[in-house]
Amino acid sequence: MRTNPFPIAWKLLIVLATANTLQAYPELQKQIVKSSGRNVNCAMCHEHSDGPEGTAPGQIGHLTSAEQAELGRARAAFNPGGNVKSPILNAFGNHIINSLGKKQFLELKVTPAELADKLPQDSDLDKDGIPDAVELRTGTHPLIKSDGQPWLLFKANFAENFTQILLMLAATILGLWGLRHLLHGFDAATRSDVCDEYEESP
Amino acid sequence: MNVKETLKKTEEYIAERLPVDKMNYASMVQKKEVPVHRLSWSYYMGGLALFFFMVQIVTGLMLLFYYQPTVSDAHASVEYITDHIPAGGLVRNIHAWASSLMIGSVLVHLLTAFAMKAFEKPRELTWVTGILLLGITFAFGFTGYLLPWHQIAVNATKIGLQTIEQIGAYLPGAMSDWPRQAKEIIQGEASVGQATLSRFFALHVIVLPLAIFAVLGFHLVSVQLHGMSKGIDEKPRSMEKFFPTFFLKDLRVWGFAFMVLYILGVCLPFESLFSYPLFEPFDPKGSTPDGIKPEWYFFWVYYPLELLPLWVILVGSTLLGFVLMATPWIFKNTNRKTLQLIAIVAGIYLIIMTVWGENIYHLFKG
Repeated sequence: MRTNPFPIAWKLLIVLATANTLQAYPELQKQIVKSSGRNVNCAMCHEHSDGPEGTAPGQIGHLTSAEQAELGRARAAFNPGGNVKSPILNAFGNHIINSLGKKQFLELKVTPAELADKLPQDSDLDKDGIPDAVELRTGTHPLIKSDGQPWLLFKANFAENFTQILLMLAATILGLWGLRHLLHGFDAATRSDVCDEYEESP
Repeated sequence: MNVKETLKKTEEYIAERLPVDKMNYASMVQKKEVPVHRLSWSYYMGGLALFFFMVQIVTGLMLLFYYQPTVSDAHASVEYITDHIPAGGLVRNIHAWASSLMIGSVLVHLLTAFAMKAFEKPRELTWVTGILLLGITFAFGFTGYLLPWHQIAVNATKIGLQTIEQIGAYLPGAMSDWPRQAKEIIQGEASVGQATLSRFFALHVIVLPLAIFAVLGFHLVSVQLHGMSKGIDEKPRSMEKFFPTFFLKDLRVWGFAFMVLYILGVCLPFESLFSYPLFEPFDPKGSTPDGIKPEWYFFWVYYPLELLPLWVILVGSTLLGFVLMATPWIFKNTNRKTLQLIAIVAGIYLIIMTVWGENIYHLFKG
């Protein structure tokens, strides 16, 4: 069956035509909150937690002319591999644009749930053991090492620090074993009969 | 009754509850015995709370070397500790986990001591100091929550302090202004800011530790002087020596608790239980993220506060405070089975409000 390409094309045309005025992507934020149940804000992909519009550091009104030029290059990076570094996006935001290209990213505004599937599945920018794509699905920040789905984070950190945990367990057991003998020794020494025997001994 | 008789009776009352003649190594350590029975596990809860408190002291002192108690630097210094100081993240994470585990073990200790009637004569003052320790522990939690100066810290503190001010609406005449004045004394200025942070920091690292050392000292000496309470109505299976038998078992429990704490500290950042926008630095001009709430150990009062009129919570809290302080006299003649039932109901309430409090809130408020 042949599908009608016009609805998607029209939507894409509208999105592209208004790309310069659309600064943030609330549909993506809504999708993450809906699928993960976690609250997220613009700081997941942007430099500023309130998004790109404004005059604070990381927002458009605060950019220098060189940064504005870089922003222009990033906005024109329609194809993947542009190696752009938009000053209003954080490392994860730039990773999305560099991996997918602006064109595919804008297409995904219509189906934001697919964004995580389209991203490289092995990339882990914060090196917390949870791939960025998974962090996007679970609503945790791909650039904050301490933020991750608790169970996934626990498993990754446990595996990474297993030797250290084993050594600490051995140290604890040995410490308790030593304390046991030390306290039994104290007990024996303080018992009067033992003390008496000690005093009577030549 | 004349003054002389009153003084004599007071002296006798104190002497019975604080028998200083027993304050020697033989009575407090060598001759002390611990009953062995089905509820013996609860004898370890107080020691466990003490262990977590000691962890808090050690890790807190370590954090103190780097933490900056100013609104401009507090959050940055916490990030610096976490990301740049060797083992800083581990120490901070252990501090966060140990605070929760300490409060958890204190609550279990309270419920089990109540169920075992450990407040019976001559242990009334041991119980009262225990309740004071509970209050100080909650105050530690409340003041420590603000120190990282992130969104959830500042906004949750604001909500907590606003609640104090709202009490004024229920007080008559000039008294209606007292809660506002109390709030401003705690806050130090018109809104939560530098003065609040300075005060909370001073309370958290100086005032409360001094208070807890004094009260804890009395509590521990009192426990050692009177020995462990009987705990059950029937005869215990046997008696075991406190030193070294019980003490060594206590140390094993501490060893196990340390390993749990260490694994949590290494593997599970405390912050991962919340969404990240809550841990962004507080920005007075920025938008407030969703999901602002107090720490889990305040849920039992926070969610009812969100659902019910304030006066209901005020009456309930006042009554609860009074009943807890006066427990040795109110429940003097109550049998252990009834006490156990009350403790179980209270425990179930705490668990339900802590685990499902938010769901219950959404069920009623949508």
